[in-house]
Amino acid sequence: MTGLGWGLRNLGRHPLRTALALAGIAVAAAMLLDMVMLSGGIEKSFSELLLARGYHIRITPKGTFPFDTEAAIPRATGLVRALRAEPGVRAAGAVLGTSVYGRTADSLVTLVGYGVQPEAQGLYLVTAGADLGPGDTLGVLLSEPAARLLHAGVGDTVALAGRLDPQMAQASTDRRLAVRGVVRWIYDSRGQPSVGTVLPVMQRLDGRAAADPASLLLVKATDDRSVATLAAHLRERFPELAVNSVADLVVEAKRRLVYFTQLSYVLGGMSLVVAVLLVGTLLTITVNERLGEIATLRAIGVGRGTIVRQVLAEGAALTVVGGGAGILLGLVTAEYLDAILTSFPGLPQAFSFFVPRANTLAVAAAVLLLTGSLAGLYPAWLASKAPIAATLRAEAT
Amino acid sequence: MSPPLLVARELRKDYPMNGETVHALRGVSLSVQAGEYVAIAGPSGSGKSTLLQLTGGIDTPSGGSVELLGTRLESLGDRELTRLRLTRLGFVFQRFHLLPVLTARENVELPMAEAGVTAPRRRERARELLEYVGLRHREGHRATQLSGGEMQRVAIARALANRPAILLADEPTGELDAATGREILDLFRRLNRDGTTLLVVTHDERLAAEAGRIVHMLDGRIVAQDGSGPV
Repeated sequence: MTGLGWGLRNLGRHPLRTALALAGIAVAAAMLLDMVMLSGGIEKSFSELLLARGYHIRITPKGTFPFDTEAAIPRATGLVRALRAEPGVRAAGAVLGTSVYGRTADSLVTLVGYGVQPEAQGLYLVTAGADLGPGDTLGVLLSEPAARLLHAGVGDTVALAGRLDPQMAQASTDRRLAVRGVVRWIYDSRGQPSVGTVLPVMQRLDGRAAADPASLLLVKATDDRSVATLAAHLRERFPELAVNSVADLVVEAKRRLVYFTQLSYVLGGMSLVVAVLLVGTLLTITVNERLGEIATLRAIGVGRGTIVRQVLAEGAALTVVGGGAGILLGLVTAEYLDAILTSFPGLPQAFSFFVPRANTLAVAAAVLLLTGSLAGLYPAWLASKAPIAATLRAEAT
Repeated sequence: MSPPLLVARELRKDYPMNGETVHALRGVSLSVQAGEYVAIAGPSGSGKSTLLQLTGGIDTPSGGSVELLGTRLESLGDRELTRLRLTRLGFVFQRFHLLPVLTARENVELPMAEAGVTAPRRRERARELLEYVGLRHREGHRATQLSGGEMQRVAIARALANRPAILLADEPTGELDAATGREILDLFRRLNRDGTTLLVVTHDERLAAEAGRIVHMLDGRIVAQDGSGPV
């Protein structure tokens, strides 16, 4: 009979009480797990999102971050050519983000428009149909929400309008484009209707073709390890632009979302305290009920060390069982909470606040097991110090 | 004559109670030879159980000394005293005190596990002992599934697990009916016949009558003894 097996059997003496304590520990463990997932999840999810298409560096107008403002980089096509010629650059592409209008039977609907260079794009994944060709000025890509809004699918034709003339209330530019594919725009928020064309077409719809603008430039390095060096080099080469590696952007995102991390630490700490109190209370009650039994064990020669290990094993057993259930509960609640948080306007749909990772689970489990076992220290000390003769006398009367 | 297995000299035990001092033992001396069967008899509150606890090293005397197999218990630290109780003494209690979550065999194995006996060896020994007390067929039953007499027999088997030099029993028939108590008397008689030294506290006249020597206590003192052994 091992200490853990013995401990489990002891806990089974009062099934309802143990079940209630386990439920409490499971809730505390679920909260701890969610908070651990939250503290590192934003960083991981953001980093994964930015690297989804393997582009390591973003170049934007000075003082802005990608799509932060409507500021644009002029002469984008030439800049991309220059970037592609730089050593250490495997690929580079320009993106213009703007507003366009789609014509339906009786009205105009507002859409987010992306101008892309399909041969070097880091914004979308084709889910149906085909991608645009590099010089495909007659094609368009739609997001699922845009396809629904425009009642269009692959092979259909849609009419897009550019900036509206405020006096005439008419579009300055109108284009009929064939739907080449339906795509998932990586940075779109939930339900966002977006369309994409090759860069020159979107620049014309935007009414600024002459300036050849882009909201940002994407750069893929030849080697993952040389990204920082390449970013530093590009900063020197293009001092009028803001050059940020994904690592830089993650740091910035962490800075902006620091309250999430702080919140997760505070709530995670509180859940640990709750778990410790639950385990400690239950074990103290159990030990007090079993003082006679413990005194008997000491009388027949069972050492204090064995008694301490036994009580700690019961704490560990409670923590293992409650924590196991808590991990499952934590994963379920994380998914639910994630769905709520990611439905906030402006957040990319693919973004996650709660990211389950093996090391996250391991850290939560280890911290919980350690604190759960430590919670048994006081009742274990109480058990080991029980006066043998006095307890046996009290038991006999 | 070989030296005594257990020697208690001028044992005193005082307890504070409600601001006063209770003199549970008032200078008790007792000697037990190997192979003896000694009963300590007396009315409730006469100090019988206290004497047993002091000789068994589970309580410390206010004065006097206890020597077991040539070792003075007062000279031992908690760890050594615990080890001595584990390996050289066997205890049987009035209320059995088996662990209810363990089976009969696991209860018997417990002191051997603590003493570091390997699992196969202690399993074999536990089965031997359960066979000896007539409960081999109940080895897989939890303590709570056993009758009072069966629990006490398992407790006796547990006390014998590490082959103790002496078995100390405190009112072993106190919780049993007459018929079941008789089974325990028979078992003790058989144990003593097979070489086990017994020191039994009892107010059960039948059990005391089985002993080779009866030590009578009253008010914390030995007042008389019947039989051949030395006081």
